[in-house]
Amino acid sequence: MTIASAKADQTPGRAANATRRAVLTFVSRYATFIGLLAMIFFFSVGAPDTFFSRANFINILSQASLTAIIAAGLTYTLVVGEFDLSIGYVASFIGLMVAGFMAKNGLPIPLSILLALMIGVGLGLINGVLVTKVRINAVIATLGVGTMLSGIGFSYSAFPIAMGIPRAFTQIAIGRTLFGIPNPVFVMLAILVILWTVLNKTDLGQKMQAVGSNIEAARLSGIRVDRIKMFAFATAGFCAALTGILLTSLLGSGTLGAADGYLLDAFAAVFLGSATLREGQFHIVGTLVGVLVLAVGFNGLSIFGAPTNFHPIFKGGVLIVAVGLSTLARRYASSV
Amino acid sequence: MGSDSAAQTLSAGDPGTNRATGGWLQVRGLSKHFAGEVALHDVDITFERGEVHGLVGANGAGKSTLIRCLAGVTVADRGHILIGGTELRQGSPQAAEKAGLAFIHQELNLVPHFTVLENMLLGAPKVTRLGLIDWKRSGVGARAAAERVGIEFPLDTKVSELSVGERWLVMIGKALARDAAMIAMDEPTASLSAAESEQLFTIVRDLAADGVAIVYVSHRLDEVLDLCDRITILRDGRVVDQAVRGHLDKRGLIRAIIGHDVGSGEGRRLNEVDRSGMPVLSARNVARGHAVKGVSFDLYRGEILGLGGLIGAGRTEVARLAFGVDRLGGGHFELNGQRLAVENETQAIKQGIALVPEERRSQGLMLDHSVNFNVTLASLKALRSVPGLPFLSSGKMRAQARRLVSELSIKTPSISTKIGALSGGNQQKALIARWLSSHTKVLILDEPSRGVDIGAREEIHGAIRELAQSGVGIILISSDVEELAIIADRVVVLHEGRVTGELVGDEITEAMIIELSYHDGADLQGENA
Repeated sequence: MTIASAKADQTPGRAANATRRAVLTFVSRYATFIGLLAMIFFFSVGAPDTFFSRANFINILSQASLTAIIAAGLTYTLVVGEFDLSIGYVASFIGLMVAGFMAKNGLPIPLSILLALMIGVGLGLINGVLVTKVRINAVIATLGVGTMLSGIGFSYSAFPIAMGIPRAFTQIAIGRTLFGIPNPVFVMLAILVILWTVLNKTDLGQKMQAVGSNIEAARLSGIRVDRIKMFAFATAGFCAALTGILLTSLLGSGTLGAADGYLLDAFAAVFLGSATLREGQFHIVGTLVGVLVLAVGFNGLSIFGAPTNFHPIFKGGVLIVAVGLSTLARRYASSV
Repeated sequence: MGSDSAAQTLSAGDPGTNRATGGWLQVRGLSKHFAGEVALHDVDITFERGEVHGLVGANGAGKSTLIRCLAGVTVADRGHILIGGTELRQGSPQAAEKAGLAFIHQELNLVPHFTVLENMLLGAPKVTRLGLIDWKRSGVGARAAAERVGIEFPLDTKVSELSVGERWLVMIGKALARDAAMIAMDEPTASLSAAESEQLFTIVRDLAADGVAIVYVSHRLDEVLDLCDRITILRDGRVVDQAVRGHLDKRGLIRAIIGHDVGSGEGRRLNEVDRSGMPVLSARNVARGHAVKGVSFDLYRGEILGLGGLIGAGRTEVARLAFGVDRLGGGHFELNGQRLAVENETQAIKQGIALVPEERRSQGLMLDHSVNFNVTLASLKALRSVPGLPFLSSGKMRAQARRLVSELSIKTPSISTKIGALSGGNQQKALIARWLSSHTKVLILDEPSRGVDIGAREEIHGAIRELAQSGVGIILISSDVEELAIIADRVVVLHEGRVTGELVGDEITEAMIIELSYHDGADLQGENA
């Protein structure tokens, strides 16, 4: 009643209203930034030697890079108004496959990686077809595909594939080609720049945003909604595959279920990101901020010696807070 | 009929007098605005038990908002609703139900795979002390209600197996099973056969005789005149007239609905339309299901062709067929003399047919995006920095958006303002702007000025005229007969999926459009209603 009447007769309490609105806008846009800075400040003061060091920051970035890549792909599916719950499983599966290609089939490294990425895109397209053509709810379709993948992975190799992986392959993720910064950080930057550019600077990106904003209006504007969604799913599959490959390289082995946990990290990051700078819209820069919040949080927790079982509590908590913030931001934006 | 109990000192055309009088359900000074648009303005109405009270008015006159306020779905900005002298808490469907108000909407809220009995008890079953549904006790009340409305099919029939008419009976029975004191019905006969309608009228009369207040919302004026003890006419959110049975005829009713003597046609300006050449778009006996039963018309370059008729007459459906949203059941379209074969919206747009949909917010706008984003969406290919590469030139986009904003005088603080913040009229102009720059040959506008004020409507009309003068053929679907009379070069009126008349030039008057819109099935040759 208060909102309705305040809108109807805008004379009384207008100033107070405007102030409240300005405060709310500021909070909803910068809450995640403030949270990130507050955490960095708190950890730096609490552990100036261990946390606040170049080595540790590089460590955080390096931890964040794999999450950021998979989360950027997930961002695309959310931008077009869909979901992808298979990404963690896809990453694990691809991590196993790429190890297998090299160790079991003796394929050269570039070919193994190329094949693995293609399978990732293919899996994304399968998700896309199930969602757009068969019209299965995205949550169900991607969960089904993901679950099947974990089973297929199990039958492919129940044990970690470590023997026969070339050293050159593990060097990809461990190596530090420039400025002593691990390579995955550069891969992350490249992916983020490309995905940001496509989303914000191409007509494809405009169409993706249009589809996510109002699918009916997008369709009536001549946008081929199904194709746009397929593209988003394919991108998510590609990014998940890339994360899987880098993880195998980092671990030196293809391990069943190794990347499953990235699913929740990615979701928490993307939803945190949607409440960053914008009111509930999913975007790449926001996703990066979300990933950094998680990475700094995990890192700080470890440094302060929090038991490992505290990590899932932190992760789950962040996920709920993130989705809550994102939903509130969106509701607030639509009420303005 | 029970109307005598509500003997009031009310004369036709004098709505002000009942402000002070008593009455069972009193609506007092109810006002409601939506985003600055008036939906209800200081509305006073009294509903009496035992009376059938008709609510009529053009689309957007405020009938639905009034009903939604009563139902507790919408909270009014100002005003009260009193039942038996007690104030009804607004915004609470539960409170409305407790007070005995029942609402039956067109999209009957029934659970299809539940039985009739389960549906009747839904939400308000009698329960045992353990909290389980007491089927025996619940069944008694439901059965009695079913008998009152003349339900003859078993109550364990699944609702999905029932006809629309039978579902109406279930809905009424459901209301009665909860001891409803008032039942509001929204367009009850819109999807009923003649026989089913008759049955419904009998039940409505019986219920009123039993002391139930009936609120009857309908576009079918003959029906309203025949059935209702009292009729309230709404226009632009205001009560403009109220009449008791026998004090109003169809002409008078129509006049009250439109608001002035029909046929004024002020502000009319005709385009010079060259009809000697080939029509840009022709419909040849197009049909689809029950909604469109064979419609033909020609549209020429630079012409504004109005599609008139009531809601549900098939206008929007024809537009959807031309735009490739729905598949044709019969007939075909021709674009510049070539048979048109479009299977989806994308193809239609490629061919040069564009549509500005009826539901501006849900089907047209990307509300959380900028004006810039919204007006350039349909012409992105032309806005690339280098042709052939997918990269957009933000400079070209901004330039185009600025040009469109000034061309259609869209009032916005800047082109990066979110479009949701604009007024309805400016949002509509932005939607038209979306098609201005592409190679549009035919633009279909569905209710372009609904819910905007007079000033904005004129500006939208200006934009439409300009577009027509640039050579685009325009199909204008409008329930606003005045709008059609002012702006259309030709009007085709539909009634229940058929063309009931075509008016050109001076023949276009509001009276004629309305006459043809309310064309009852019986008057038409070969019509089998």
